[in-house]
Amino acid sequence: MSRAWLAVLAAVVVLPLVVRHAIATEIWIFAIFGLGLNLLLGYTGLLSFGQATFFGSAAYVGGYLLKHYGTNVFLVLALGVVVGAVSAAAVGYLCVQRSGLYFIMLTFALNQMFYFTAYQWTSVTGGEDGMPGVPRPRLFGVGLDDSLAYYAFAAVLFLLSLWVMTRIVESPLGKILVAIRENELRAEAVGYDAARFKLLAFVIGGAFSGLAGVLYAMLFGIVPLEAIGFVFSGNVVFATLIGGSGSLYGPLIGSFVFIWLSESVSVMWQRWPLLLGVAFVIVVLFLRGGVVEAWARFWSWRAGRHVAPGTAGDAP
Amino acid sequence: MNTSLLLSQILNGVVTGMLYALMGIGLSIITGILNIPNFAHGAMFAVGAYLVYTVINALGNFWLALILAPVGVALLGLVIEYAGIRRLYAAGHDYQLLLTFGLSLIVTEGIIIVWGPVGMSQPPPPLLRGGVDLGITIYPKYRLFVMVMAGLLVLGAWLFFEKTRYGAIMRAGIEDKEMVSLLGIDIHRLFTAAFALGAYLAGIAGALTAPIRGLNPLMGVDMLGIAFVVVALGGLGNLPGAIVAGLMIGVAQSLVALVWPEASVAVIFAVMAAVLLVRPQGLFGIR
Repeated sequence: MSRAWLAVLAAVVVLPLVVRHAIATEIWIFAIFGLGLNLLLGYTGLLSFGQATFFGSAAYVGGYLLKHYGTNVFLVLALGVVVGAVSAAAVGYLCVQRSGLYFIMLTFALNQMFYFTAYQWTSVTGGEDGMPGVPRPRLFGVGLDDSLAYYAFAAVLFLLSLWVMTRIVESPLGKILVAIRENELRAEAVGYDAARFKLLAFVIGGAFSGLAGVLYAMLFGIVPLEAIGFVFSGNVVFATLIGGSGSLYGPLIGSFVFIWLSESVSVMWQRWPLLLGVAFVIVVLFLRGGVVEAWARFWSWRAGRHVAPGTAGDAP
Repeated sequence: MNTSLLLSQILNGVVTGMLYALMGIGLSIITGILNIPNFAHGAMFAVGAYLVYTVINALGNFWLALILAPVGVALLGLVIEYAGIRRLYAAGHDYQLLLTFGLSLIVTEGIIIVWGPVGMSQPPPPLLRGGVDLGITIYPKYRLFVMVMAGLLVLGAWLFFEKTRYGAIMRAGIEDKEMVSLLGIDIHRLFTAAFALGAYLAGIAGALTAPIRGLNPLMGVDMLGIAFVVVALGGLGNLPGAIVAGLMIGVAQSLVALVWPEASVAVIFAVMAAVLLVRPQGLFGIR
């Protein structure tokens, strides 16, 4: 087992001891969401600003089934993955045919379509009030209502997701996606149908978002309208970027920083999105590259200080 | 269905469609020339509306407000480009997106802090209150005014791009920035001007909208998605494309509002999805 995995396992064990269980759980759920986005953003080079579409759709479907039919939790999670993947396939089909800025704008516009549908379909979604009363079922005789039990449940699913994602990015598929990111024309020339692989990445990303969405609904017992809103889409992009989109573990760090900070600040001030906006601006203007890169830069700066002072540590 | 109601809904659709086209043209200029995803474009729209409201309340003159508010928005755009976006031209779209999205959050929250979270209404100026008898239907004067104003602005934008030297430089900037700068044109000044012009158009669209739909802090982000739809359908830097796309979704929205009001916003995006299914490249092709 690699050192990175040991660090992740250690974090899973330690986290609930240092922060509230709900926050610790949310961190890993958001990390699953981030893993899905990062396959698009970091590996395939596709900037999707509509990930909440899949997250929210799965949260509504999963929440509805749990609330009204008491469906088996594993079946609900599996369905969440399917809903995430299918909604991503539908959205992705339209988006991957355009590239660059058009792609970004389309993901956002289609996110808005889902948002307004959820907003108006009050009989199912509850509209602005959200869909409350999502239960956490019992599992092998243990009630998931216990916050630590639910933490363990979500953390195991997170580890599973991380393992699956590791396998995906290390597989030939992962390499093809990176090839498309690096040079789409050349990947096409070698014989890969770039649009199809982009769509596949989109679907996989959507599946991860769907899993995260259902877990989120169970964590808070409600599907808020924000779960399908563009701010959520923006948050996951931000979290992934502050973690560093170039690495598999970036979204984990980003999720930790983002959730921990936002949960701490949002209870203090109702207008905290203002601070979030300010944070976006500061990070973008001064801390590009994210935590992972800042960390690497710090070490190279320290190492460089002994060798050649003043040659490293400048912003990219 | 009653023809007079149908006609007035179609006219409503044309009015909103023209406003959408203005938003789309502004965004198209910014996105096309600066090559950035501009998520702050909706915020410029909202600021335009709130500024017009504030100036009317301070000075009591709608016409002065209609002149001043968009200029204020253009100045804000100037500052945003100069202090923020300019530093990110070499960075990826992801960082540009985060910056403009962050600015959009700041503006939305700023509006709530300054003007409050509750929606407000802004009556049209006394001269434009009441309706005009069009034969089949009586239609509000103010909306006809907006239709004419938006038409004139679009015409002005077209003349600027087609007939003036600076417009030609901007068009060239959309085609090939490197070539333009090789020809000895200060590309940074061009970028700043393009952003300010796009912000101006968003600001005046917001100012004109205020007496029709009133004001609320989320009006900007709601408009942002619509501006994206106009650009995705009409194509970057394509003025006729923006007008056709704007009118198409504006009229579709108004007509759906007659039969199924709850779906009237979602239909904008559904129309886009339907068009893209048939024509992935948009209405008039893309570059």
